[in-house]
Amino acid sequence: MAHSASPPAGGTVVLVVEDNHLILMSALDLVATAGYEGVGAANADEAIAILEKRADVKLVFTDIEMPGTIDGVKLAHYIRNRWPPIHLIVASGRDILDESQLPTGSKFFSKPYDNTTIVEEMGRMLAAIDAGKPVP
Amino acid sequence: MVELRSLDPESTALSLMLAVIASSNTPLLLLDGDLRVIAASTSFCRAFQLEPASVPKSQFSGLGRGEWNVPQLMSLLEGTASGAAEVHAYDFDLKREGQAPRLLVMNAHKLDYVDKEQIRLLLAVADVTEARASEKLKDNLLREKAILLQEVQHRVANSLQIIASILMQSARKVQSDETRGHLHDAHSRLMSIAAVQKHLAASRLGEVEIRTYLVQLCKSLGASMIFDPKALSIEVIVDESTTNADVSVSLGLVVTELVINALKHAFPGHRAGAIVVRYSSQGPNWTLSVGDNGVGMPAEPYSGKPGLGTNIVEALAKRLEAEVEISDAHPGTLVSIVHVEPAPDGAGQST
Repeated sequence: MAHSASPPAGGTVVLVVEDNHLILMSALDLVATAGYEGVGAANADEAIAILEKRADVKLVFTDIEMPGTIDGVKLAHYIRNRWPPIHLIVASGRDILDESQLPTGSKFFSKPYDNTTIVEEMGRMLAAIDAGKPVP
Repeated sequence: MVELRSLDPESTALSLMLAVIASSNTPLLLLDGDLRVIAASTSFCRAFQLEPASVPKSQFSGLGRGEWNVPQLMSLLEGTASGAAEVHAYDFDLKREGQAPRLLVMNAHKLDYVDKEQIRLLLAVADVTEARASEKLKDNLLREKAILLQEVQHRVANSLQIIASILMQSARKVQSDETRGHLHDAHSRLMSIAAVQKHLAASRLGEVEIRTYLVQLCKSLGASMIFDPKALSIEVIVDESTTNADVSVSLGLVVTELVINALKHAFPGHRAGAIVVRYSSQGPNWTLSVGDNGVGMPAEPYSGKPGLGTNIVEALAKRLEAEVEISDAHPGTLVSIVHVEPAPDGAGQST
């Protein structure tokens, strides 16, 4: 199942990958409030299917522990290899993860994350795209 | 068996030695240089089901049904007899037909005594089958416990995320500003408990470093409640103190309430200012304070009904056996929570 939250036409698209429905809805709400178009996926396979269909996703915000064959860390690496320009934010309730396990430039936040912090990080990553600069 | 007719010193000594070996609780064998058994303890015969009378004078390799005749052990014992090797904590699987294998730890020493001509080896055997099994069980349980603990922490974090998500989503949907404010406060309280939870998960020992915790907490409070970080700041000044999980949760909630309170009331109309959170301890005594340089308190402290925040702070202070002191900081307000450990003696015995 894929959800869409109030898409502002032609806006920046953010894909949220999260198996918990309530957290997914809230994260899509967060994305919409921040002014982006949110697309939801309940696991990595759904996320990859969406990325294969649409080329306009600029950022993926993913959970780590999800049902299915690929977890969020593997998904992040897969996306970095296949679609290098996409920015990555990873969140998990498990131990504070070492960011070195993630593709370079991606960010990790432990759950429960603070919405403001996530929105700021999205803004920072996406502003760098708009300015045509790589994220430091 | 050695029969004693006359008490000549040599046979007395021999008899004593044999009696000592026979009575040893640890299974023991006394061997000669050709690995022939001179004496065995009763415990050895009992543990390895050997007929006591059959043991003396037989070859070590011929004991029982030959289950001791294992090349590696034999060569270690021969090495010990010749002085070239030593059997030290050697793990040996004793396999007997129709019986579960036993895990033995063997120690053999060449005895150093007056008679240099006759070689004597003392072999001690410990059966560690049960001990090793229970050690392994313990290791497995510990590993399982660590995994379960991680799983619980993960679930707690996920549950907190669900609640945080619902609160934030509701806050955006409600029409009333007051209700929205309450939902935001609830979210901040939840995040402060989450901060200590994260901190505990990382520290593992149950000891919380107060500075790191409060810095993390105030950062999270600032991120969710300060809309203009250039105008308002929260500074955290804390010494090297550590405390336990229970106390740290209470301290964190007190800071959350006092910071929320200061942000709400001390700086009306986009007034700029700073909030300073301090904690210091000396032995068992400590002081936590939250000060601001805002508009100060109303003429009568907590005029009107005390808010939820005030009640929470007072309840938490009581739990921490601490006193709440509110003073005018010119400008602003300083709220201190002071804990003084009652003197162990002198104050009286009745309490």
